[in-house]
Amino acid sequence: MKKRKEQKELSTIMTRRMLMLGAGQGVLGALLVGRLYQLQIAQSEGYRRLSDNNQFDRRLVLAPRGRILDRKGRLLAGNSEVFELRMLPSRISNHQAWLKRVSRLITLKPENIETILEKIAEQPKFLEVTVKSNLTQRELSRLAVLSPVLEGASFQKSYKRIYPQGWMTAHVTGYVSPVNKRDIDGEPDLRYLPETRIGRTGIEHNMEPDLRGLFGFERVEVNARGKPVRVLRDQQANPGEDAYLSLDAKAQFFATDRLRRGRWQAVPVQMPEVQEALLKNKELRAHVSMGDDLVLKDEKGRLIPPESGSVVVMDIETGEIKVMVSTPSFDPNLFSNRLSVRDWQRMNEHPRTPLLNRAISGLYPPGSTFKMVVLAAALEAGVISQKTRIDCSGAFEFGGQNFHCWLERGHGLVNAEQSIERSCDVYFYQIALKTGINRIHDMARRLGLGDVSALGLISEKEGIIPNRDWKLEKRGVVWTPGETVVAGIGQGFVLTTPLQLALMTARIANGRSAITPSLVTQQSPERSPERRTEKRTEKSAVFPPLDVSPDIIRFLHKSMRKVMAGGLGTARKHDIEQGMAGKTGTVQVKRITKEQREKGIIDNIDRPWKERDHALFVAFAPYEKPRYAISVIVEHGGSGSSAAAPIARDIMDFMLKSDGISA
Amino acid sequence: MLGILQLLYRLPWLLLISAAALVVIGTLALYSASEGAWSPWAERQMLRAAIGTMLLIVVAMMPTPWLHRLSYWGLAVAVLILIALPFVGTGTGATRWIELGPFNFQPSEPAKLAVIIGLARYLSGQTPEQVQSLISYLPVMLMLGVPFGLVLIQPDLGTSFMLLMGGLAVVFAAGVPRRFLVTGALAAAAAAPILWSQLYDYQKARIMTFLNPEADVLGAGYQITQSKIALGSGGLFGKGFLQGSQSQLNYLPEKQTDFVFTMIGEEFGFVGNLTVLLIYFAILASVALTGLRCQHRFGRLVCMGISFMLFLYIFVNVGMVTGLLPVVGAPLPLISYGGTAMLTVFLALGVVVNIALHTKMQDSDFY
Repeated sequence: MKKRKEQKELSTIMTRRMLMLGAGQGVLGALLVGRLYQLQIAQSEGYRRLSDNNQFDRRLVLAPRGRILDRKGRLLAGNSEVFELRMLPSRISNHQAWLKRVSRLITLKPENIETILEKIAEQPKFLEVTVKSNLTQRELSRLAVLSPVLEGASFQKSYKRIYPQGWMTAHVTGYVSPVNKRDIDGEPDLRYLPETRIGRTGIEHNMEPDLRGLFGFERVEVNARGKPVRVLRDQQANPGEDAYLSLDAKAQFFATDRLRRGRWQAVPVQMPEVQEALLKNKELRAHVSMGDDLVLKDEKGRLIPPESGSVVVMDIETGEIKVMVSTPSFDPNLFSNRLSVRDWQRMNEHPRTPLLNRAISGLYPPGSTFKMVVLAAALEAGVISQKTRIDCSGAFEFGGQNFHCWLERGHGLVNAEQSIERSCDVYFYQIALKTGINRIHDMARRLGLGDVSALGLISEKEGIIPNRDWKLEKRGVVWTPGETVVAGIGQGFVLTTPLQLALMTARIANGRSAITPSLVTQQSPERSPERRTEKRTEKSAVFPPLDVSPDIIRFLHKSMRKVMAGGLGTARKHDIEQGMAGKTGTVQVKRITKEQREKGIIDNIDRPWKERDHALFVAFAPYEKPRYAISVIVEHGGSGSSAAAPIARDIMDFMLKSDGISA
Repeated sequence: MLGILQLLYRLPWLLLISAAALVVIGTLALYSASEGAWSPWAERQMLRAAIGTMLLIVVAMMPTPWLHRLSYWGLAVAVLILIALPFVGTGTGATRWIELGPFNFQPSEPAKLAVIIGLARYLSGQTPEQVQSLISYLPVMLMLGVPFGLVLIQPDLGTSFMLLMGGLAVVFAAGVPRRFLVTGALAAAAAAPILWSQLYDYQKARIMTFLNPEADVLGAGYQITQSKIALGSGGLFGKGFLQGSQSQLNYLPEKQTDFVFTMIGEEFGFVGNLTVLLIYFAILASVALTGLRCQHRFGRLVCMGISFMLFLYIFVNVGMVTGLLPVVGAPLPLISYGGTAMLTVFLALGVVVNIALHTKMQDSDFY
């Protein structure tokens, strides 16, 4: 009985204590609510001011982007200082009205206002929004007068990316464009630096981390009473590093102009006849690019757009690229600030793809320029000797199929050297078959084809150098000997870029080292010429050996020299005084059917542009002491000997004369 | 069928709905803390909540005597892990975590719960005479003192004191005579200076900072100052979701963990903070009522202890971010980012639900 009573008593005590604890919690809870009331309601105004202070006192300072300079220190990409107007949405009650008001002082298109309002809607209100970058002096002074009453406005010094050489070097420098949502996802800090520009292509993209530099910032610490206590961090903006390229802007200009003119007569666009033709001829209008200052007149008197194509010139000792041209091109300045939709469409939908850097992303069958590879592979394999002769009757029958030589009547008895000199297709059909595709593949890879280079540029293409495994893997079927025959003249599956062809030629010219191309030099612009020569040979020594017998290399040199200097050489009219060794190539774009062949092939010039042959030419010079290798491609330009070789000749001559090298 | 309906009827719905609401609020807050992104915090928090829910269901469905039986084992395991921690754990400056693959496990969190349940079992087994006798409190001192000491030397001042307070609340509720309470309080007051001399410098600094925050703008005082600015500038209704400049511009430190309440305050204002506190009140009240309704002493003490433990989490966290208490690093239950604390709270709620389903049991049923 007593026990029960005690139990009950204990239970009462417990309940009482639990209630006491509950009450204690209630009191403390009320204390918290009171504290929140004090902070968030009673003293809220003061804290709001402090919070605003925090926002304003954190100022990010943009770093100027590093410049891009050519080998002589000529400016390819730089910055110009501009002022921009920004607004702080959280300080402005009616954004639309505010923008309307500002648009009376500065030029602000309705669609710009639209974009700004969208931007305000999609990000936190405490982040500043750029209203207009690149304010004119007039706009700046007008705004300055009004700024005391223009709540939420601020001015910021900023930089605009400029490309003084414009479209001449656009594919090498690439372009920058404003930060977009994808960039911010990858790098959240960028949202505080809306005026940052990011490299999208070319060197701007490739060297983005070095070029961009590091923003600085200042932050002022305030105490609870709003008084600045100290500067918490004050970090200087760290300008981006300059990039020095091996490119020679002067040679680049010459090469670009030379390529664009092709073998035709140039007519300035201002001429009345051109203006008239542009109005009438829709196709011509579509193919002429923005900013084109000339058109061409072909041999039949028709007005045609400037030639499209690519030129690459490389130093055969160092691999440094001196010229990298791709036409048509575009104006990279257009991208620096927000690109208009119309400009973008025009560039993107242009039939001649001005945004494509043909030098690294354009894929072309190498055609007869591939014959050095096949010949080297055949000699190395020992399936022929330098003396082997083959009888060319104008066609080679294999597997029930007729493979034609470009010379319909045939070359007759041809030896190895003559096969290059005259570019006999039948000779190569046969030795390719004997050598086999795998050995040809191996030689091509050693000479630099079929892989991306060490340049590291975005969108560089690998090209295709096929072999048995490749076909089985990519197409799911076995390789057939007929395909080896076609590969023997650089057609069929084989695809290369102009850069690769220049590299191939450079490695043949060098003969000892497997040089790799480069565009960025570590050193600032070159000093004395002596030092440079020293450096060139030094650099050549660091590349791995080429691993092709000197005998074969010497034979290739001799054969390529015959192309320019032999009595029947395909480019015999286009040698230079310093002596050049080269190889022509003419690539069929459209298959010639049997009926067409019987009816007689239509002249290249009379076919629609898109169906004309590509003209190719590769060369190195001077022959005795090679210095530069060049590759030229004229898209749908006709034959390699008539369309590409003269261009290469003039550019090579220019390069050597600039270096003070003459015969 | 009837059984299920009965079960559904007896479930503490207020508790469960409130807990779910807090998880939702917490996930949204973490989404905002990562500047409007599910990774890295919000998505992992949701995953943990899902695991926690499963844990809750398992514990809630257990027969209550199992809980009773497992309680000493739980405490023993917790103590063993705390002893092993210095040898297997990681942490910068202090050894507080065990790395388990991708997870960091902080054993002092479940230890709090283990101490409460262990003490509840021991004290609920005492006869009224034993309750009055000093000798029966010796095991209590061991059960409370050992884990407290182990956490204190990690060193983790805040957690060890919360563990101590939680346990003492159970002892208090169990009806310890008033004379012991007074003696204990006097002893603690006498020991305080000794303890102070044993504190690490940073611990002393934190307490000093708390007493005078403006003296140390860059350290802990900076955190509190920024936290108060964020809360205060939130005002009545806040700056809006994802619009908190203090949090989004990273003035607010640890906004995903200890200072998440501040972020909610900046973006949703006094109203938002009050809503969160009211939901907590609903949970605490629900746990306490479960305890009061329960007819066995074990259940009553467990509920009492858990409600006090949850209260301590909330009070210490909110007190800290509003500048009422020193910065000791206490999570906000079910909201702040942290796996161990969240799973511990789910485990505790599972225990409460279990007890709520069996309030009619008697103490004698356990033996």
